[in-house]
Formats: sequence, structure tokens, C-alpha cells
Amino acid sequence: MRDLRERLGKEWLVCDGGTGTILQSKGLKGGELPETWNLTRPEDIIDLHCGYLRAGCDIFNTNTFGANALKLPGNLKEVVTAAVELAKEARRRAGREDAYIALDIGPTGKLLEPLGDLSFDRAVELFGEVVRYGSEAGADLVLIETMSDSYEAKAAVLAAKENCGLPVCITVTFDEKGKLLTGGSVDSTVALLEGLRVDALGVNCGLGPEQMIPIVERLTQVCSIPVIVNPNAGLPRTEGGRTVYNVGPEEFSDWMEKIAAMGVHVVGGCCGTTPDHIRLTAERVKELPFREPVRKRRTVVSSFSQCVEIGPLPVIIGERINPTGKKKFKQALRDNDIEYILREGLRQEDSGAHILDVNVGLPEIDEPSMMASVVQKLQSVLDLPLQIDTTDAQALERGMRIYNGKPMVNSVNGKRESIETVFPLVRKYGGVLVALVLDEDGIPSDAEGRVRIARRIYEAADRYGVPREDIVIDGLAMTISSDTTSALTTLETLRRVRDELHGHTILGVSNISFGLPRRALINSHFLTMALQSGLSAAIMNPGNEEMMESYRAYCALAGLDPQCMRFIEAYGGTPEPVRVSAAGTAGGNSGTGNAGGSGAKNAGSTGAMGLFESVERGMAESAAAAAREALKSKEPLVLIDQELIPALDKVGKGFEKGTVFLPQLLMSAEAAKAAFDVVKETLQGQSQEVKGRIILATVKGDIHDIGKNIVKVMLENYGFEVLDLGKDVSPETIAETAVREDIRLVGLSALMTTTVVSMEETIRLLHEVKPDVKTVVGGAVMTQEYADAIHADCYAKDAMATVHFAEEVFKEG
Amino acid sequence: MELSPDRKEIIRYLGYHGVSPDEEVLREIELCVEQLQKAVTPRYVYEKFPLSRSRGQNSEEQLCFAGITVASRNLSANLQGCSAVYLMAVTLGPGPDLLIRRAGIEKVSRAVILQAAAAAMTETWCDQVNERIRLEAERNGLYTRPRYSPGYGDLPLTMQTDISRILNMPKEIGVSLTDSLLMTPSKSVTALIGVSQIAGDCRRSGCAECSASSTCIYRAES
Repeated sequence: MRDLRERLGKEWLVCDGGTGTILQSKGLKGGELPETWNLTRPEDIIDLHCGYLRAGCDIFNTNTFGANALKLPGNLKEVVTAAVELAKEARRRAGREDAYIALDIGPTGKLLEPLGDLSFDRAVELFGEVVRYGSEAGADLVLIETMSDSYEAKAAVLAAKENCGLPVCITVTFDEKGKLLTGGSVDSTVALLEGLRVDALGVNCGLGPEQMIPIVERLTQVCSIPVIVNPNAGLPRTEGGRTVYNVGPEEFSDWMEKIAAMGVHVVGGCCGTTPDHIRLTAERVKELPFREPVRKRRTVVSSFSQCVEIGPLPVIIGERINPTGKKKFKQALRDNDIEYILREGLRQEDSGAHILDVNVGLPEIDEPSMMASVVQKLQSVLDLPLQIDTTDAQALERGMRIYNGKPMVNSVNGKRESIETVFPLVRKYGGVLVALVLDEDGIPSDAEGRVRIARRIYEAADRYGVPREDIVIDGLAMTISSDTTSALTTLETLRRVRDELHGHTILGVSNISFGLPRRALINSHFLTMALQSGLSAAIMNPGNEEMMESYRAYCALAGLDPQCMRFIEAYGGTPEPVRVSAAGTAGGNSGTGNAGGSGAKNAGSTGAMGLFESVERGMAESAAAAAREALKSKEPLVLIDQELIPALDKVGKGFEKGTVFLPQLLMSAEAAKAAFDVVKETLQGQSQEVKGRIILATVKGDIHDIGKNIVKVMLENYGFEVLDLGKDVSPETIAETAVREDIRLVGLSALMTTTVVSMEETIRLLHEVKPDVKTVVGGAVMTQEYADAIHADCYAKDAMATVHFAEEVFKEG
Repeated sequence: MELSPDRKEIIRYLGYHGVSPDEEVLREIELCVEQLQKAVTPRYVYEKFPLSRSRGQNSEEQLCFAGITVASRNLSANLQGCSAVYLMAVTLGPGPDLLIRRAGIEKVSRAVILQAAAAAMTETWCDQVNERIRLEAERNGLYTRPRYSPGYGDLPLTMQTDISRILNMPKEIGVSLTDSLLMTPSKSVTALIGVSQIAGDCRRSGCAECSASSTCIYRAES
């Protein structure tokens, strides 16, 4: 038998058609697992395969679509092995020893974290088990199909690659809008799967051939590897309790002929298609001229939902998730305060970044674990692709593995060790790789030396099977304060990489001004010059308004902003910013490259409302401004005692009386927090009083955390420090943390009656390991009776009640 | 298709008892609705099954449909006089959960309002799918009963597993169950809708039917 990899993309290949429809006609009942027929009705399965083999398919699926340890916990190996054996037997009987047995793998039926509760690693394990059994039994390839979540698709592909050496093909299911159920697009899915080096990819199920045409069109435009198209026989309807499809074999093959001619390489069918559909399709498609896949040479990265192309439009990579030179960020890493990092990410997305750099390197923390955890959390709240930035190989792999998409990778350099460490990871997981033009001899002082290293890195990419378009060369921006020709060298490097090597480039732009005053001034001009010299990606602070201005103006001037729409969207209707001509008096925002969120937007927005009123009305910006104003004439502590606390108390009392409602209470709390933050800046150095430290957690099995988050905001406002353990937290984790941190009060939340059991278990364990700890419980189903029954010390009906209980507990001393 | 949630419902979910929120909050509500409308991907699936009754060991009434057997006094009452039952599942997709997670980090007050608005939107979407079912039943000369969900009254939440399997929810609408039987994405609903040849008391739905109605703070006023 010829290796399938030699034939894929070289000649027409045909897949088989529907399984469920045929088994139903043989008597499969609704709700019965079709895979069990491998053991109970083997002849029917052989018959099913023979039908397709005689119809002329080249690749046919084992009856293992739903086979995994979740659905078949007792006899998975037996079922999978039997499935492959039946396929072999069918091949013999049909006289089709040339046909390939595809180990069929479908979704688990569970959503992966953070959407659901199946962890990524567990998903890889579940798929891996099936792959091992199937390949041991003699399958010729792995065909992963009907995936509607990019993350699960990634888990399945990794499992296939890590557990066998067979070709791996995958088809996913899009809706009529071209989206996966979890939001991925054709572009983002192709980026991910090509990065994982599958042998062919495509679409199946969900739609009929006609509805698939726009999706196939986009697929063939972006895909560089063989494309598979396996549609349903049209759209389903129920007839007498049975699902039937509306496109017959003749019409189906008409459509498939059209689809094949669009630049597809493998055709077949899914639900509702029969051997007749496949026979006609095979006959007609194999008459058509075959076009081999064409490499598209696009430089793309992706998140679960978005695909970002680097070039021709240059992109902005947000640099703020990085502890270098940031005291608060370092502290957040030490405290495992991931929310701080997430806020930094969300702010950059709002400011217009296209990709976010993620660097969490700090000597005293476990960087690989921190990287995995930050990447997971970031991708649960952000649409933007991430750039994994680390010098620790283990952290790099952990980040790349857990990432839901095709990441940017920062970085490799010309050193042998670096090449040997980083390229295999990019080959395995996919990614666009930032390549620094330095090597064992340091950084070449001229462009010639830098281009030489760039060439060497491209050659390494060829050796490792990483496409050249997945390399972006970092021309290395170094400060002009120590060498005034350094910018020129960098710019020449950019030009030569673009013109001679036809490659993309990247720079950490703000390095150029290190050690100089008015850094934003230098940075923004350098950015324009670099873009003009071919820069494809700028690593910078998107909150820096001057640099964003340069970027937007450049795009408008360079014909990269059709009708100047993006420029107008950013600046249309905003007044000319007022520039102060005397250097150094324009406020904090012109001095450094790191001033976040300043600029035109905030200018002149201060209202005249006082602090008390701002807090009472829940207006955060106005509260911060009022606090800043008031601090000019009042002592910080006086301000807190005379205005902030009374305003909070008034709103809190109103809430308890039922005249103020939850949204207002929270908006006031947020306004107070904004004011507190301003006051804290002036209090810097002086220790602030913490009334007590409290653990908050949503208990195991429960994924609703909004109530817990409300309580957290209120407690923090009243001066308590909260250790937020998140949601779905095991009793053990809560108990361990309480002991380790010597916590006196634990707040637990549960929304569902079903999870109150976990709450009870948590309290029991807490009493066992730390008898002096107090517990307060709350949540939608909670009542005083429930709370008493599970031995909680307090039932809090709302956030204010928790605050009162906390004050009581810590007053007792 | 635009899902426009009932603003009164959002305000009720936020805990306002017959009081109108101030302007700031009303503005936030509109902003949240707008964000949600961009983020939702509403999907649904439903199927009709014949309904029969049998007696269990203790001669309690059991309902049989779609290959499953349930004993629930509340559901039996709801399906009285019905010859068939629709199982339905709807979702707003993963978008609202993402927005709520984001707001939980940036601004909890917004998370609370998004939560309420998304819940109201889920109800609106349920009503729209319910209406399709009502019209379909009407074409066949049948009348629908108020929809009823697992977890209401004595109808066990474990029925979610059956409904998920029967309607193939993970594949059809992208909804799966956690080990603790919660639906993800969270803005999803499953329900049963009985159909009968007799026009009946199909208006009695909502709070009056709920076993928690005496203690619930979200109870509708009228």
C-alpha cells in the first residue's frame, strides 16, 4: 500500500459517507451508541464499510466516532480494536486492499475549560487512548472530524501526533455563517491546524454541499495543504420520527463537482449520504483536472476566534504584560494576582493592540506554571492572539501547548542552542517566531552582520520544516543615547530583510530612546521611520497616544487604511490636543514611553462634582478627579474619614433599607475604589491598615462566580484583603490555603442546590484542619436553614451582610 | 435577528422592586444590551416525542417519552391531558459568558448588569422558540402547555443528561453539561413543552409554578 502522505494533494481521493443514517436503517435505536455494534452486530458494520468500498471510496472510517473513555468506560479498547478489525475484514471482502482505514475520532461531547469543565490535558489523554488502541490495531490514518471547538481540535491533533506516527487529517464543522460553535472562523482554524502540521484539513457535517460553498471558497483561499470537503446530504428534517436529508445522489454529485473544481483535494460525504452519493461523486470528480495545493505564504497568528495577519498592514503588539522595570507588576506576580495581569491585557486590547506579548519571567517564581496559568486566563477573556515571551524553554512549551490558537513566539536567536531548543517546539505546536539577529558573538554592529544571522535563521527554519513565512526578524532597536548611529543600523536591517530576504520584521520600538528625555517624542518618530523601512510588527505600549498617532497616521499615508476609515474612527470628532510648549510641564504623559492611557481622550474631562457626590452617584472617573483635587487642600486620611467612608456608608445603609439597589451599590463601590487608588498614591510608603485577610471561593462543581466577585469588591472597599481562589475550587485547596495563610474567615458561595454538598464538605474539612476558622456562606439557593444544616457560622443574604460579619469577626481580635 | 430583552425583566433581575433605576444604571443597561446583542449566537434544537404513562412500583405515575421514564408529580400535572411532548434546548452561545468574565475583572457592576440582561435575553429567546413550537403544534391542531424545565419543582436536574443525549445538544447547539449538571455556555435553557388536543390552562407559568416562589427575591410583583 502506498503511503497516504504521497497521495494526499497529488491526486483525487474520496472519503466514505454517512454512518448513522445507514445504521438507523439497519435498526440502530435513538440513544443507542453505534460503536457498541462493533461487538454486537459485526456483520452489519462490515456491510456498511463494503457498501462504501464498492462505491469507490479511498478512505473509510472505522465505527469509532463516539468512542472514548467517557462514553465507553468499560470496554473502550475492545470496541476500538474490533472496529479496526472489522474495517480490515471489509477491505478483504470488497477486494479493496488499496483503501485506507481511517481511525475516526469525534468530539468528547464536553466543553473544555474555561467554557466547560474538561481540562485540556484530560482531553489530550482521552483522545490519546483511542489513538493508541486504533493504531496498534492497524489503522492507516487518524481522521478527526466534526470538531466545533478549536481547543478540542488542538487537543485531538496533539493526542494523535503524540501517540502514533500515522498521517493525521481533520475536518471541522462550521455553521452557515462560517463560524465554529465556540466562535472560530475559517481563517483562525486554518492557522491553528496548519501550525499543528496536520496532513490535510477541511470541513464536514452541519451543512449541505450548497451551504458549504462560501466556506470552501475561503478555505481554498487561505489553506496551503490538501483540503477535504465532506458535506451532509443537504438539510435534515424529521419524518415519522426519523431524520431524512433532502439532497439525493444525483444532485449531491452535481454540487460536489462544483466544490471539487474550487481547488479541493479530497471529497466525500457526511450525515445522510449513502454509497450511491459517494459512487456518483467519485465517478464525476475523478474526471476533473486535479490542482495541487498552492502555498499561500501568509504570516498569520490566531486566537480561539481571531486571525491576525502580519503584513501588508503592520501590527501592534502590546508590551505591557512584562515585569521588567515595573514594581507593581512584579508584586502581582509574586502574589499570584493574575487579575492585575488580565486588566493590563484588557486595557491594551481597548487601546488598539492586535497581539499581546506575555512575559511573566521573574527569578523567584515558577515561570512555567505561571506562564501556563496566565495564558489560560488571558485567553478566557481576550479575543487577541498572544505572543509567548520567555527565555525559559519549559515555560515556552507550557505556554504554547495550553494556548488555544497559533501563537507568536518570542524568541529564537542565531545561537545554536537557541535554534535547537526553539525550532522543534515551533515545528510541533506551530507559531510565528520572532528571530533576534544576534548569536554567540553578540549583536553585530552593522546591518550586514545582522542580515547574515537572519539568513542563517531562515536556513534553520528550512531544516526544521518551519515555513519561512512563520519567521519575523527582529532588527534589534538599541538606544541612540549610547550610539547615535544605532537607529540607522536598525533601519537598514529592516530594509534589507524586506528587499533581499522578502521577510517580515519586528522591533521593540521604545528601546531606541532609553536614557533620553521626552522618550515618546523619539519613539513615535522612530516608529514612523521604521514603518517606512518595512517594519511589519511593532512591540510597544498601545496606551502611548503619541506612538498610536504615528502608527495611524503612517497607515493612512501609506495607503494601508482604505478611505482613512480607521484614522477617522480614532480621531474624527476629537479636538486637536493642546500641546504645552514648555518642556516638562505637560504633565506625566510626555516624559516616558511607559505612561499608560494618557493623551487626548482624558484631556478636559474633569467635572466639578465633589468626592462625596461622585461616590454616591457611582461615577468612577469623577471620583478619582475629585479625590485628586481635594488632596491639594486636605490630608489623605482626613479625606478618607470625612468624605469617602461617609459616602460609602450612606450608600450601604440605603442598600440595606432597600432604597439603593445592587448595581448602584457596586458602582459606588467602584467609584470609591477609584478614589482610594488616588489617595493610596499619596500615601505611598506609609503602611495602610488591613482590617483582616479573608478567603473567598465558589465551591467545587459550581462555575458561577458573580456573587463572589460582588462580595470581594465590597470587602476590599471596607479595607479587608481578599484571597480570591476563584470558582470550582476543591475543598482541599480551600483548606490548605486557610492553613498556609493562617486565615480566620472563609467566605463560600454556591449557586445550585447540587453544589451545596461541596460547600458542606469544605466546611467539614476546614473545621477538621483549622478549628478556629469562621465560615460565611451565600448564594442564590442558600438560606439560614441550609447554612445551619451545613454548620456555617454565618449566612449572609447579601454583600453588606458579609461585610458586617467580617467586621464582627475581626473586631473580636 | 435581534434579540431585544424585556427591560422590565432586567430591572427585576437586578433586584429593583417596582422602583425605577437612576439614569446611570439605565444607561449601563442599554450599553450592556448592545454589547450582548453583538456577542450572542442564538441557537436552538427541539424535537417532538409521543408521551405515555405507566405506574411505578409504588403505583406512582410515571411519564414515558423519548425512551426515558420519569416520576415527577409536578411534571405530571404540567403534562396533564398531553399526548406528546416537545423537548427543547436553546442557548445564546459562549459570547455572553466571555463578556461577563471580562466585566468581572474590569467592573463588577457591569458584570451584574450583563448577567441580568443576558438572563432576560435567554428568556426572550426561549419565548421565540416556544412560539415556533406553539405554531407548529397549532398547524397540527394541538395546543401547547407552559414550558417546564429540569430542576423546577420535583423534576430532577439529572434529567439534563437525558435531554442532552436525546437532542444531541453538544453537536447541535454547542451546549454541554459539567459533571455537576450545569449547562455550559451558561446562558442556555432546556425545557419540556406538552401538547394536547384540548385547549387548556396554558397561561399559568412563571413564578406561581415555582416551589421557591415564597422566598425568592426575584419574584414578579403581580
